[in-house]
Amino acid sequence: MDVDRVDAVIVGAGPSGAVTARRLADAGMSVVCLEQGGWPDYSKARAGFPDFELVARKHWDWNPNTRRAPGDYPVDDGDSDITALMYNGVGGSAVMYAAHWERFLPSDFRVRTLDGVADDWPVTYEDLEPYFDEVERQFAVSGLEGDPALPPATAPPLPPVPLNKVGRRGAEALNRLGWHWWPGSNAIATKDYGRLHACAQSTACPFGCPVGAKASPDRTHWPDLVADGVRLVTGARVRELVTTASGLVDGVGYVDHDGVERIQRAQVVILCANAIGTPRILLNSGLANSSGLVGRRLMMHPFGNAIGIFDEDLESWRGPLGQHLHSLQFYETDVARGFVRGAKWNLLPSGAPLSMMLPGLWGTEGSWGEDFHTALRARLGRSAIWTVICEDLPDESNRVVLDPDTVDAAGVPGVRIEYRTSENARAMMDFHLTKLELVLREMGATQTILNGHIRASGWHLMGTAVMGRDPATSVVDPVGRCHDVPNLFVLDGSTFPTSSGVNPTATIAANALRCADALVRDRAAQVVPA
Amino acid sequence: MTAIAPDLRAVLAGIADVLIPAAQGMPSATEAGVPEALLDEVVRARPDLAAPLVEVLTAVATDDAATAVARLRAGAVPGFDTVAVVVAGGYLMSPRVMAELGYPGQEAKIVDPDDVIRTLHDGLLDPVIERGPIYRPTPGTGESR
Repeated sequence: MDVDRVDAVIVGAGPSGAVTARRLADAGMSVVCLEQGGWPDYSKARAGFPDFELVARKHWDWNPNTRRAPGDYPVDDGDSDITALMYNGVGGSAVMYAAHWERFLPSDFRVRTLDGVADDWPVTYEDLEPYFDEVERQFAVSGLEGDPALPPATAPPLPPVPLNKVGRRGAEALNRLGWHWWPGSNAIATKDYGRLHACAQSTACPFGCPVGAKASPDRTHWPDLVADGVRLVTGARVRELVTTASGLVDGVGYVDHDGVERIQRAQVVILCANAIGTPRILLNSGLANSSGLVGRRLMMHPFGNAIGIFDEDLESWRGPLGQHLHSLQFYETDVARGFVRGAKWNLLPSGAPLSMMLPGLWGTEGSWGEDFHTALRARLGRSAIWTVICEDLPDESNRVVLDPDTVDAAGVPGVRIEYRTSENARAMMDFHLTKLELVLREMGATQTILNGHIRASGWHLMGTAVMGRDPATSVVDPVGRCHDVPNLFVLDGSTFPTSSGVNPTATIAANALRCADALVRDRAAQVVPA
Repeated sequence: MTAIAPDLRAVLAGIADVLIPAAQGMPSATEAGVPEALLDEVVRARPDLAAPLVEVLTAVATDDAATAVARLRAGAVPGFDTVAVVVAGGYLMSPRVMAELGYPGQEAKIVDPDDVIRTLHDGLLDPVIERGPIYRPTPGTGESR
């Protein structure tokens, strides 16, 4: 065998890539991971320093078109209602996520059966349950067992983050309304755990955790994986997959950080590059697309928020960011509302002051003149934010395509996104914001600000290489193997048939582990290049 | 790094005090030091802002401050976002401003892992638990593989 050939090459060092690498390495397989970005630079994690928010707005910006880091590639979102957000580097988009750790609910896997829309998954909540348990240990999840919005489950490894004044006020209001809430589940350490340290409550989770409390794979997985012999190649920009005459993939062609064209040969290739990056590679390679669905069915979760301002000092500049609590009161379908499926709410502290004062979530104009001081005193420490994540149903016209007009630093084509928010999601958002205004009033808010359909909110990327049993209507099979190319796998959120209405990282990680487990189990029968 | 010349700092000072005047016991942007030391700190933290700031200040250099702000906010001159982040960002870096607000910054306070456990003892979750499961039963589970 070619000495440079490995058992598996994984593209992407985010949650799905890290979980997969762990499972394969534990099975004794030789693994290389190609990651287009580098390691996060935590010297730029400036929480506690006066320039924190200024640095965060560039270095930790969620939009690659703004951040323009070396690992980023162009994403033309001019024809999209939502901008796609991601982090291209070791740890993947978990480096910038808020670490809200939510299992998809049982009904999320059965939307066709229950609600007559979209598609059922070829797997169930129960199939994923043991994998949820395992990834919660890997990602240092803190939370409280017994949430009545989910089936009984194993307790997470760490106790939940504090409610603080903001969370307690929200919980008390929901109790008075008779509505569901539960302490937040977060991939945030509340005690020292493995390589992680207990959270210092800097409201910095999405902007570079300064103490190493937030679980992202650059901290939870990759140091140990590298020590265990997994080869992680940073600055590796994948150009295309290399094929054999018999229709298998033989490896991955990439440009290294010195600009040298290289090929990493492998028995199996596993794409974990997120639902924008994975179809980008498949489309650029002209592979796995006999269904015509590669890049289609993009789902990004229409996102809104409801901000309350209070007379009392809630110390709302403090806390994990990170959810104090969530509510799934109106999650399940009630057709009387005029839409199907539902949304999750979570309650957050409002954090540091600069974001409150600039045009954006707190108003389109900003507050200037004497109003600057009025608004600043009213908001800083005295505000709370409910966010709304609406289930996004798949639509084949929402898609990722290659962009003929842009290339990355290695000359690999960028992408263009075509996406429209559905009428179902618009009706859903209106309903939920109306309910949340009631909650904020019950909490005692003296002012409320409602933001529906925030454009810069596409953190949750799913659906562009859908899984299913029928090769005519899906790209990969139920364990992530491409129907067209039997040694090519997709194990990231691209394979999700539907999006749920909760944060997807827990399910992305659990599903990757389930599929990696199957790959290991079926290894003897795996078709590989001659 | 792009240097910000004294004449442009003067332009910024005028604009900054229109955006953030002295009021309600708070200093103006200039009194807080926005066009001087704080501007240097802003540019040190965000060197990418220097060139666009110079461009926008140059574009409004002959306007009086109120007119400059009006034109910027109306979009007649592009670059208000840059000015806004420099002025507000610099202002909120001021130790004097933070002290006046009673804002300690992001002081570390390690989480109390027993906080929610005490909540359970307080009975805060009791009504949620007493209402029982709210997730939707799913038919055919466990039969798909």
